[in-house]
Amino acid sequence: MAGAGFFAGLANATVNASTVLILAGLGELISERAGVLNLGVEGMMLVGALTGFITTVVTGNYWLGLGVAILAGGAMSLIHAFLCISLNSDQAVSGIMLTLLGTGLTTFFGNSYSGNSVSGFPERTLPLIGDLLVEIPVLGPALFQSTVTDYAALLLVPVVWLFLYHTNIGLELISVGEDPETADTMGVDVFKMRYLAVIIGGALAGAAGAHLSLAFNQIWSASMTAGRGWIAVALVIFARWRPERILLGAYLFGLFNALQLYSQALDFSLGAGAPLAGVLNPVIDFVMNPTIMSTYPYLATLLVLVITVIRAENRELAQPSALVQSYSRETD
Amino acid sequence: MQVDVDLEARTDVPRWMAYGTPVFTVLAALSVSAVALAALDVDPIAAYEIMFVQTLTTEFGLTETVAKGVPLIFAGLAVYLPLKAQLWNIGAEGQLFIGAVAGTWIGLNVSLPILALLPLMFLGAGLAGALWVAIPAWLRAKWGINEIITTLLFTFVAADLKNYVVRGPMQAPGANFPQTAQLPAAGQLPVIPGIGFPSGIVIAVVFVALTYLLVNHTRLGYEITFIGANDRAAEQAGMSKYRIYLFVLMVGGAFAGFAGISEISGVQTRLRAFFAPGYGFTAIPIALLGRNGAFRVLLAALFFSVIFVGGSSLQTLLSVPAAIVDIIQALIILFLITAEFFKRYRVSLSLGRDLSDEPRGTRPEGEV
Repeated sequence: MAGAGFFAGLANATVNASTVLILAGLGELISERAGVLNLGVEGMMLVGALTGFITTVVTGNYWLGLGVAILAGGAMSLIHAFLCISLNSDQAVSGIMLTLLGTGLTTFFGNSYSGNSVSGFPERTLPLIGDLLVEIPVLGPALFQSTVTDYAALLLVPVVWLFLYHTNIGLELISVGEDPETADTMGVDVFKMRYLAVIIGGALAGAAGAHLSLAFNQIWSASMTAGRGWIAVALVIFARWRPERILLGAYLFGLFNALQLYSQALDFSLGAGAPLAGVLNPVIDFVMNPTIMSTYPYLATLLVLVITVIRAENRELAQPSALVQSYSRETD
Repeated sequence: MQVDVDLEARTDVPRWMAYGTPVFTVLAALSVSAVALAALDVDPIAAYEIMFVQTLTTEFGLTETVAKGVPLIFAGLAVYLPLKAQLWNIGAEGQLFIGAVAGTWIGLNVSLPILALLPLMFLGAGLAGALWVAIPAWLRAKWGINEIITTLLFTFVAADLKNYVVRGPMQAPGANFPQTAQLPAAGQLPVIPGIGFPSGIVIAVVFVALTYLLVNHTRLGYEITFIGANDRAAEQAGMSKYRIYLFVLMVGGAFAGFAGISEISGVQTRLRAFFAPGYGFTAIPIALLGRNGAFRVLLAALFFSVIFVGGSSLQTLLSVPAAIVDIIQALIILFLITAEFFKRYRVSLSLGRDLSDEPRGTRPEGEV
């Protein structure tokens, strides 16, 4: 029923759908590792997507677009940082507010750009070895004929891993999320470190948005993130706050997303003479219906989330101990 | 010059602050939104004149405000009640979809007189909404899985399910549009004779009163508030978090289901695939503004109804995107949580004071 071309297409769609989640997921992970939950990913992504898009339309330079999106995401996360770190506000409420604000602002100001397209990041092969790697069947074109942002996302996974576990500043960041009091006593500036983590998170969410509007879709439409920001938040729990597992989760989600796009090419229905065909075929039709299939990524995220939490119940969930806890010095 | 910021935790909130905060918040949000309006070359004063004065002084505006207010009140309660136990029902929008689907199905498939059919539709919608949130509620109660993320993921699933039934099993026979048939007259909420207001408002006010009684005058309400204030102490006092969490979220889900069917039965008269009013998300600022009592939820919902109705007038009259309403909502939350800080701390700024005789490190260094 499905040949190599089908699987190559599926692999390509999977990789394409995953980059947004890797970028936003890594950003959220860094923020949460420092103890700050940011539910504004969706809003920061939208702001990144729109500012990057407009900049590219106006200047014709998609690099500038990406840069502006990163700055915009970072600037927006600064509001969250100020409210949660300086004013000790409720992190959940502040994050939800950012998502509402981002959705509103981008719909409001993006109205006149709605449906416009832009020529953004082109797909490229890597220099020197790229042409060789593309020859790998099925996975070659998917992985090695991509946009710069796709490569950057893949590269960021080891970079973030190295940063968190093998640099002083990374370890300080983790310590702030685990035990801010002790970190403070050891001379780590808790406030500065948390601000840094939240801003990096916002910048990466902005980059994820720019990837969406400049590389993945190359158009602007309101609410085009379609809940991916929330998936990124769930992904961090799935990944148990470890960067390498963000990659795994993002690909899993991307695969479900891709399967939906290719569902029409699949036909599992039984022949007329097959036993139980009358009962099973309507079930298969329902399960393979594209609208029903678009629920699978959310259901899969939920399922994985539940399994992760329940299985970890007796062991360590690895959630940063001080997550969602505000820290103020004058507690004595 | 030396600027020193001194923070002191307040022991009690002054009266003027408790009552002034919501008013101040709304005014501040409107002032900042004026900047967004000005950026689109719209005169903010003219815009707010359309938004508020015209909405509240015309008969059409008032009727629309009440009509839109009904689902907003229910959606507000759907977030308000769980919030009393410190739970965030972010997925009211999804519960609203499922309630709308279930209620519409009953309205289209059961033939009964209006006085039996309407209550049955509300019952079905409420039950469906409650069941839809039951899994996230159970996951939160039993395993501590974050209800914000699960209720939200369920919203995306609910939206797709609604699209599926409206394009498939429930699509009106022979219709080219993804929509159901129109509800029979017995399934539509009538208007109140004489004043022309939608009768849904009466049902909504009754449920606001019931919620008020539940939270403020029953033992269960006391337990909900206690768990919300300090869950560890409440468990030590023998209260069951499990039971309370399931209860508040499922009743919240039922309210969201009411929001869905009241909108379909009272305003739309049929379910369309593109039905996505966003009431479940507006419910968040409504519950935050009204978190001190069910009747304040009612007032906050009516306030948002005014800006919704005014927002769509702006769209028609001045071609301003109706998303201005989203911006105002977000800004209201922003100023509310900022004000929360000033409620908790007394902040005094002092300039050029000599600090040499005070030990260092006992005051926050420059942080506000």
